[in-house]
Amino acid sequence: MNGIIEQWPLLAPLVLGGLAIWLLLPRDRVRGWGLGTLCGVAALLALSRQFGPVASDAARNVLFHLFGGGAVVSGVLMITNRNPVYSALWFALATLSVCGIFVLNSAQFLAAATVIVYAGAIVVTFLFVIMLAQQAGGAEYDRRAYQPELATIGGCLLLGGLLFTLQGWSRGVGAEGAGQFLKRPDGVAANLLSEPQPWNAVTVIGESDLGTLRGVGRSLFGDYLYAVEVAGTVLLIATIGTIALAPRRSQGTL
Amino acid sequence: MTGLLEGHLVVGAMLFVLGAIGFLTRRNLILMMLSVELMLHGVSINLTAFGRHHGHHSGQVFTIFVLTIAACEAGLALALILGMYQRRKSLDVQLWSNLGEPDLPRLVPEPTPPPAEEPVELPHLAPAGRVPRLPPRRSVGQA
Repeated sequence: MNGIIEQWPLLAPLVLGGLAIWLLLPRDRVRGWGLGTLCGVAALLALSRQFGPVASDAARNVLFHLFGGGAVVSGVLMITNRNPVYSALWFALATLSVCGIFVLNSAQFLAAATVIVYAGAIVVTFLFVIMLAQQAGGAEYDRRAYQPELATIGGCLLLGGLLFTLQGWSRGVGAEGAGQFLKRPDGVAANLLSEPQPWNAVTVIGESDLGTLRGVGRSLFGDYLYAVEVAGTVLLIATIGTIALAPRRSQGTL
Repeated sequence: MTGLLEGHLVVGAMLFVLGAIGFLTRRNLILMMLSVELMLHGVSINLTAFGRHHGHHSGQVFTIFVLTIAACEAGLALALILGMYQRRKSLDVQLWSNLGEPDLPRLVPEPTPPPAEEPVELPHLAPAGRVPRLPPRRSVGQA
């Protein structure tokens, strides 16, 4: 029991965050907007103080907090909104924040591809389907969540387990093997084509081609060529399956 | 250096858990699919963060594959959701709690099907190339 109480810097934001989500989830009664928002903001601040990056680069810190906080807040608003159209739009904002984090992780090409695929295609398709199947005045199933207590407690337990393990890895709290997962291996013998190459062009910021189109392409079509072929086959099969599954309409309406 | 990686991993874990909570609590089929996509975002952040930490391209390539599968999944799921909506005229996932065979006991009471709409008799155009049947003409003088 003492061991659990000692972990209060981890437990307090978890409990607050779970309470915030539980208060904000749609229900029949009046939702606690003010208290939920307060709890959520407090949980986010405590978590960012506990786990925030300690880089010397101030701009990087600010950008990370902006994009990470934006992604999490958009995610919370997405799962708690009553209107499915607003939920889809919050999901688009969460996708944009995630793309910002991709850029911070020096994955520029991936950020652009994700914006194109998600915000450009998937979210638009979802909005299309939502508007096709929209009911007038908000449906009953959107106004009442299904077992919010159980799901929130389970989610908080999962997040607590993940964060506790992460803390053990990075702070060396646990056994003597702590931190070995975060250690960079000396030399990765496999997948040589995926190693970043030094980049001599003057115009490029940074010294290696990690995340550029050149580097990703060499890795994708070198080390992972067969996987690319399989992924293309999966796309083809999914297209055929979608056409086969799509409902036939005898009349012009859905 | 580990501080940077740690923050990204925390954001990824939070997005994953938020998606899981959304998948479990929301009853709208489309929102459940969107929550799954949010979980995939959390995984993608993890992959790219580790790719940067190790200075290796594999994490980003895995994320591209995640993107591919997410696109496939969205297409298939939307086709399924449209088909299900056409049957029950509702996006409520709890209408689909009974997927067992007809002779097995029901877990939840069977929902009442929506009332069938009466077919509306709409006026039709006459087929082309034929003289349409017209009501008998009355001459002006008789009126």
